[in-house]
Amino acid sequence: MAIDSYRFVDFATRQVMKAWAARQEPGVIPFEPLARPLREGTVALLSTAGIARNDDLPFDQEGERRNPWWGDPSYRAIPLGTTEKDIKLYHLHIDPRFGEADLDVVLPMRLVEKTAPAIAERMRAERVDTAALVPV
Amino acid sequence: MGLVQRVLEASGISTVTLSWIPDLTRAVGVPRLAGISYPLSRPLGRPYDADGQRAVLRATLELLASAPGPDTYVELPFEWPESPAQARSASKDVPPSPIVELLRKKPWLVANLYSGRIP
Repeated sequence: MAIDSYRFVDFATRQVMKAWAARQEPGVIPFEPLARPLREGTVALLSTAGIARNDDLPFDQEGERRNPWWGDPSYRAIPLGTTEKDIKLYHLHIDPRFGEADLDVVLPMRLVEKTAPAIAERMRAERVDTAALVPV
Repeated sequence: MGLVQRVLEASGISTVTLSWIPDLTRAVGVPRLAGISYPLSRPLGRPYDADGQRAVLRATLELLASAPGPDTYVELPFEWPESPAQARSASKDVPPSPIVELLRKKPWLVANLYSGRIP
């Protein structure tokens, strides 16, 4: 492994993570071949950034402050169309400001929409239409 | 994330993880893994760098089709434009996580991590 996984973290964090990695047992690793080309399938995105919509329940950060060995294991659904103004990041191990400034940094929903070729094609067409209609 | 990935894969969904700590993610045993040498909090790249983020996302998604079998690991060729010190200084006003703070105060508790005896 050429990448140094701990390059960007401080000494204490590095020790915690290395200790955690050393304890893992890979066991039998599941593998499901891709059933159909990506463009014909549906892509779901999962993020561990602790993203919750403002109209949803926040993740429990107080619980983790009370017991640092614990972390809120629950999850939130983030529907398409959600933008930065609709969410907050509830995560005590990262700097939440990057994802709150640009959600694609941690949950690239807009990118996936644009990357999916069928949608991208439509969007390109839409952009052309829009550009054509913009009076300069 | 790797533990969740395993469950999804076992339930019949093809998965890939993008990890900035591939050492840890790979240790749990995952079907497809893209490692990236980016700082925490910014796995896809810098805010507003849509082109850079798209390149990372595309390289990650490509693994879904190209992986020949379990434990496929690819290191993405992207380089973070700052030194680790610079990348960390952007977040220097963010307090340490509760567990790191605790272990700084009581370093002997690190033994609990090694032994797996989580209080």
